[in-house]
Amino acid sequence: MQLQFSRAEVAKAPEGALIHDDATAKWFLVSSVAYFFIVGIIAVTIAAKFVWPDLMGTMSWLTYGRLRPLHVNGMLFGWLLAADMGLAYYVIPRLCGVKLWSEKLGLATAALWNVIILGAVVTLLAGQNQGWEYAELPWYLDVLVVIAWIMFGVNVLMTVASRKHQAMYVTIWYTMGCILWTAFVYLTGNFATLFTTGTNQANLNWMYVHNAVGLIFTPIGLAIAYYFIPRASNTPLHSHKLSMVGFWSLAFVYVWTGAHHMLHGPISQWLQTIAIAFSLMLLIPVWAVVYNLFATMKGQWHQLRESVPLKFLMSGVVFYLLTCFQGPMHSLRTVNAIVSKTDWIPGHAHMAVLGCFSFFAIAGTYVAVPKIWGKALHSQSLANWSYWMLMIGGLGFFTTLWLGGFWQGWQWNNVSIPFIDTVIALKPIWIVRFVSGIMMFAGIVFFAYNIMATALGDHEEAAV
Amino acid sequence: MFRKADNNALWAIGISLVLFFIGGILTTVVPPLVDTSWSKPFENHDPAKGITGKVVPLNDLQKKGRAIYVREGCWYCHTQQVRTLLADTKRYGWRGVDAPISTPDEFVFDDPHMFGTKRTGPDLARIGGKYDTQWHKTHFKNPRDLVKGSIMPPFPWIVNNPEEFTALVAYMQNLGRGKDWRPANDYEK
Repeated sequence: MQLQFSRAEVAKAPEGALIHDDATAKWFLVSSVAYFFIVGIIAVTIAAKFVWPDLMGTMSWLTYGRLRPLHVNGMLFGWLLAADMGLAYYVIPRLCGVKLWSEKLGLATAALWNVIILGAVVTLLAGQNQGWEYAELPWYLDVLVVIAWIMFGVNVLMTVASRKHQAMYVTIWYTMGCILWTAFVYLTGNFATLFTTGTNQANLNWMYVHNAVGLIFTPIGLAIAYYFIPRASNTPLHSHKLSMVGFWSLAFVYVWTGAHHMLHGPISQWLQTIAIAFSLMLLIPVWAVVYNLFATMKGQWHQLRESVPLKFLMSGVVFYLLTCFQGPMHSLRTVNAIVSKTDWIPGHAHMAVLGCFSFFAIAGTYVAVPKIWGKALHSQSLANWSYWMLMIGGLGFFTTLWLGGFWQGWQWNNVSIPFIDTVIALKPIWIVRFVSGIMMFAGIVFFAYNIMATALGDHEEAAV
Repeated sequence: MFRKADNNALWAIGISLVLFFIGGILTTVVPPLVDTSWSKPFENHDPAKGITGKVVPLNDLQKKGRAIYVREGCWYCHTQQVRTLLADTKRYGWRGVDAPISTPDEFVFDDPHMFGTKRTGPDLARIGGKYDTQWHKTHFKNPRDLVKGSIMPPFPWIVNNPEEFTALVAYMQNLGRGKDWRPANDYEK
């Protein structure tokens, strides 16, 4: 029955039977795309600072240590999570066969989210940093995040509760999982840490950082991929059973692995070993998902030639496979002794958050925006350019940082090389990173312009 | 059990949370209860038992300096942990003495923790006493004046504010000294 359901719902869901308002999705998508562009400028600035360390160096609010958290928080919460939420507001009502529970609540959530992001810009540039990665924002903004998340969660869960189809497609489980896990993961990383110190606090911090990716961006990103890959290729999902394996193993395995961020560090050895064992088990949910999505495309790969969303989606799946192969490998003690703390790590992190999850969100936005506004996409060729710039720039960025980081790790393990020589050795790597960053930024500009021109331009073309 | 979750949203939510909480509790709540070294400050006065010393809370000036270290994001590029790797103990040792490995009991008073994840610059877990105040002043003004090829940003707004500079240096000179690892107490001032 479930298989039938996914075929019917995802490949041939009748549209037009129900008119969706989509006001909330519109606001979330437009503001997230704007932040993608703005924070992109900061990203390129940071990359430039590696090449020219004195660049804007005399102004306290433009120093590296203040721009970096703005880059990370801006990309994670201003762009990616907001885009993911916008797409959830679009996808969930369609999969449930009902309207969004409350557009008013949704619009209030969008407004609050923008207040949070603007507050983050001001506080981070002013140096109000709590000192925890991914949790830099001051506590009063954290409280607003929790409120916004509850508003989002209530809206989605009430929509699911009022659904017309009893069976829930895999996208709905992932979205619900994301909402609930995020609540606890976020509370751990931003509030439980307030009552602890030292190693205990670091352990909570890494539980949060790791699961921000694993139990926030992974489930909502996969929710989007599971919806848009069958949708954009007009092909039913390969296997319902396999999607269950992926989901339930993710639910169990991911949360154990936080301590692998402190391998060899001042934290109990047995906890490190547990984290390593569960990191290896992560291959189960990842390979189940990746096989399922690849098998869905079997015989349909030619569609990638014509479809920019499918290009982004399937490249995202490949990056997901790679990044989640790297992760478990990094957690092996021998590999970790080389790559940990090096430039390899930003290469790995960018492949996950940009190469995989942002690619999914970009693809979803490219599909959803023309449908929401009832217009054709402003320019197919510009969309194609945005893909290739992000792809080539991204690959340049990832691969050079891996090479550079690996090299750096070997040098650090040879104590006869002074530290500064390992810095100087990486200068060519940082130049390539900067150039790749410019290409990625060009891709972001093409994408953002294309979306804005579609949404705000006066195209009279018919709905796609 | 999992089949039922296809059609029943509450059931799906229930199982996802139960599975999540098993790992969540066992890896966050249980470890500090099992391993007491996470909460007991380092203290040893018997050389036969290994390195001596005592970890005490920071004084007000050091606390102020630490807040500056947090504010400027020093911890994005500098870790504070000598790992259980030979290369770490050798590289961050000084004048022929290996740096002691960092242990949880040294960080009991650290809030926020400053372990870090990235070494764009060197580890600072045992930086205390390796360089004198004048060195730090010149270095913060423009790191490239002292270390050719460095990519550390300059921090003129700290150097030009004597109060902030004094606090930051007071914090840094104290780093890693809870374990008294210098045999002749030959710290720079």
